[in-house]
Amino acid sequence: MNYLAELLASGLAVGAVYGLIAMSFAIIYKSTGLLNFAQGEMGMIIAYVAWSISTSVDGNPFIVALGSIGFAVLFALAVERIVIRPMMSEPILSQIMVTIGLSVIFRSAIILIWDGLPHNMAIASGNQLVDLGGVRVRAAQIAVLVALFAAIAGMWAFFRYSRFGVAMRAVASDDATAQLMGVSSGKVQMAAWAAAAVLSGVAGVLFAIAYELSPSLYALGLKAFPATILGGLDAVIGSAVGGLIIGVTENLVGGYISSGLKEVAGFVIIILILMVRPYGLFGEKRIERL
Amino acid sequence: MRSGYYKETIVEHINLTDSTLQRAWIGIGLLLVIAAPFHFEFYGLSLITLMMITAIGAMGLNVLTGWTGLISLGQTAFMVLGAYAYAISTESWGWPPLLGFVLAGIVPAIASVIVGVPSLRLTGLYLAITTLASAFIVNHLVLEFDGLTNGSSGIFVNRPVIFGYAFDTDAKFYYLTAGFGILTILACLNLRRSRIGRALIAIRDNDNAARVMGIDLRAYKLYAFVASSFIVGISGALYGIFLSFVTVDGFPFLLAIEALAILIVGGMGSIAGAILGAVFLVGLPEVTSFVFSWMGSSAQSLLSTSAHEIKGLLYGLIIILFLRLQPHGLMGLWQDARRTWTLWPLKY
Amino acid sequence: MNYVKGLAAAALLALPAGMATADQGVTDTEILLGEVEPLTGPPGLLGVAHNLGVRLALAEVNAKGGIGGRQLRLIAEDDGYVTSRTIQSLRKLIGVDKVFALTSLSGSGQALASMPIIKQSGIPAMVPIGPLPPLYEPPSDNIFVVGQSYTEGMHQLALYLAKEYPGAKWGIILQDDDYGKSLGEGIEQAREEADINVVFETEYARGQKDFASEMLRVKDAGVEVLIAGGIISENIAMVKEAEKLGITPVIATFWPGRVPEVLKAIGPASDGIYGVDYVAPIQSEAGQAFLELARKYLTEDEVARVNRYTMTGYSSTRALIEAMKGCADDLTWACTIEKLETNPPIDTGVMDPIGFGPDNRFSNSGVTIMRADYETLSFAPVGE
Repeated sequence: MNYLAELLASGLAVGAVYGLIAMSFAIIYKSTGLLNFAQGEMGMIIAYVAWSISTSVDGNPFIVALGSIGFAVLFALAVERIVIRPMMSEPILSQIMVTIGLSVIFRSAIILIWDGLPHNMAIASGNQLVDLGGVRVRAAQIAVLVALFAAIAGMWAFFRYSRFGVAMRAVASDDATAQLMGVSSGKVQMAAWAAAAVLSGVAGVLFAIAYELSPSLYALGLKAFPATILGGLDAVIGSAVGGLIIGVTENLVGGYISSGLKEVAGFVIIILILMVRPYGLFGEKRIERL
Repeated sequence: MRSGYYKETIVEHINLTDSTLQRAWIGIGLLLVIAAPFHFEFYGLSLITLMMITAIGAMGLNVLTGWTGLISLGQTAFMVLGAYAYAISTESWGWPPLLGFVLAGIVPAIASVIVGVPSLRLTGLYLAITTLASAFIVNHLVLEFDGLTNGSSGIFVNRPVIFGYAFDTDAKFYYLTAGFGILTILACLNLRRSRIGRALIAIRDNDNAARVMGIDLRAYKLYAFVASSFIVGISGALYGIFLSFVTVDGFPFLLAIEALAILIVGGMGSIAGAILGAVFLVGLPEVTSFVFSWMGSSAQSLLSTSAHEIKGLLYGLIIILFLRLQPHGLMGLWQDARRTWTLWPLKY
Repeated sequence: MNYVKGLAAAALLALPAGMATADQGVTDTEILLGEVEPLTGPPGLLGVAHNLGVRLALAEVNAKGGIGGRQLRLIAEDDGYVTSRTIQSLRKLIGVDKVFALTSLSGSGQALASMPIIKQSGIPAMVPIGPLPPLYEPPSDNIFVVGQSYTEGMHQLALYLAKEYPGAKWGIILQDDDYGKSLGEGIEQAREEADINVVFETEYARGQKDFASEMLRVKDAGVEVLIAGGIISENIAMVKEAEKLGITPVIATFWPGRVPEVLKAIGPASDGIYGVDYVAPIQSEAGQAFLELARKYLTEDEVARVNRYTMTGYSSTRALIEAMKGCADDLTWACTIEKLETNPPIDTGVMDPIGFGPDNRFSNSGVTIMRADYETLSFAPVGE
């Protein structure tokens, strides 16, 4: 029983990381119809910046948090303004290729700016072990789960109640009409990119604390694809749930079947879900069927 | 000197060549391909061989991405399948290499049906995601079925012997590759000017309009995907022979991005563009090391420690800059130049 | 007509090559050597260190006047661990740069793939990284492998642990590639000779980051001796996960990950980890002497990147240089290969003396079992 509990706990912990990045995918997709293939890489860059800040201020968690969130917002706005915005009138093929181009650049830049070695990231007591009724987890893993639930609650309230959130939904459902009603789709897009960067940055930093910081961190983005397909590409909160499901599934497969299968379990889920329910568990049905 | 490019009938439009001048150029081109091994040795020849293999793969992807407007991130998966199909059938089962090449096309084609059927009924975005997934799944399957694939140890591949003729030297293998290259060009040109080719272009340009004209979107998209995977599989087999050793490590995921970059750089939807792009991107590392050696020793030491990263940066930058500034790629530049040359001093 | 453009571009890029002769790469003042290894990206940790070792050996002989008055120069090509680039780089080194001999063929998979080219060209090549049996069984005339196979290393490590912890329950986690397979064979051999009770065994996909479920199974099975068959990141993840679960099995790792960076990244939990290697640890007397030598010829930054691969690179290159010295008047491939065969074993102090024979292309180095010391970020032989 304890074995299963521990499998579930570590599944939820890693699933929360996938969930946060999956939410980033969904936010950008929902508000601009673009799938950002460089999301995992952006999370990785933010994690490295957080690491650089933490080594220069002795790991003071508040400065690190403030500094890296500030960087995440500026970084996302710069990418959106310089690279993405001019491409928005181009065909979808070009838009996707631009984000793929960005991902290649970010991966290389990490090694050029920092290095290719794995590092131990120690911020505050993130590495500390916590005993939860016989199941031991690291503090950073609890923090990811807390962050995910905070993000879910925040997103729900934002889309439901805030004026801007409603505007974002309007842009998502009908771009042209929303613009006629006076919504600036440019601003919506900027906000979406900034929010997505912060979420994936939180995921990257907390993953780096709980596991390790290395230039292959971007692979988290690949793991989050299945999560967002499962939850629904346009379902922000659904993607978060999708992340948790993928994380738990991976660990159950690894725990009861085989390790090799664990790494591709998510990708098998993608193919299966597209066969039976292409709009995902929580997505809107209208999605893209021909 | 002709004064412009006028095509008055549909026959003229679908003819492969339209002038004696063009036919003469093709003749010269063929002569140069035949003559290359006499001029280049060892390294130069293997570089051109690699360019040709890459160009075959790029032409395959072009059928799907350039003509039909669908993105595939599974180039690597289909190359791996093609390479293994060839290696297993010729080395383990002792099949003749020609049959091996056929299998190297058929196996990825079947795989593309499996991947394509669920994802092609959705918009293009979904094919990008499923092909990405298939790249990982294929690697896993290769390692899992190690009885057949020899798992991670890989399979050694000999140079083929076809109808008693051994393509054992670099020059002979080069001719074999060139032969496949020419076959691929002919196949692509003919596919492009057929009813199917026109249907694919119509789907890319406006899928709703295409459907109204009676084109079955799912069938034609699947057709493009299967044809594309067949050609990519052949290029995978050639790549495996080129490396003389087939493992999953020999086919890094970067190849999938490289293939897309080639199409963008060369010019989407153009066969000549795919070839040009392959030459450009395969030759890029040579050019960069040449440029860096000109820029002095500090630049050179940066290159010696970070060549891989600089190459990655360049790939990314080239993809973005071409998309942004020259969406029609090198072929677009070439056509602009040709038009300006012919029509000068007039603009149109 | 498209090929016209292709060929024109290619013609600009490729240099016309001349005739290859047996003593290419040798001028009146200089001898060119070449090597391929990953110098960038994460595998660069290994390649750069190896490259330093080769350069150290060259600097040492150059300072003493070179070979027959000729200075040695090294051209290192980066392949980023990508096989097609290894092959291309080798063709360039042999065909364009025309080096006299090769000091590395990159990792084990890359070396295997490049065997046909190397054999065809006849150039003497040393293989100090990733020595796999197919590289030397059957022996190829011009390929010289230095070190120890993963299988034999694992075999010895497993036998030692079986003796040290009799009756313990074993857990084995291996990577799903040729590296993992070689380790698995080593364990199998040991199981035939000693009583090893394996209660959990699994393979993971390369690049895996989350080892929670594997380590839970380790915990569930009550594993007391764990073979952590990862390379770098994977071992870090496994040990940290064990720490998290509060289990303390005896953990054994393998030499590709025996670098200080791994201990640093794991933290204090790395103390006492077992390792196995055929080169001396840096903290040993021989290791310190080697470091002293490195300080003499390398910059401070470079000395900081020295690890076990520097030692293997240095030692195998020394063996090559000694053979070339014996041929100073008649510097040909045939003579160099003959001297490599007949020279008495070369002792560099940091590993077993390196020697080959007429039908032997493998310099078999004995292994040492060692344990990690987190305090000094190093390994020390057991029993010291």
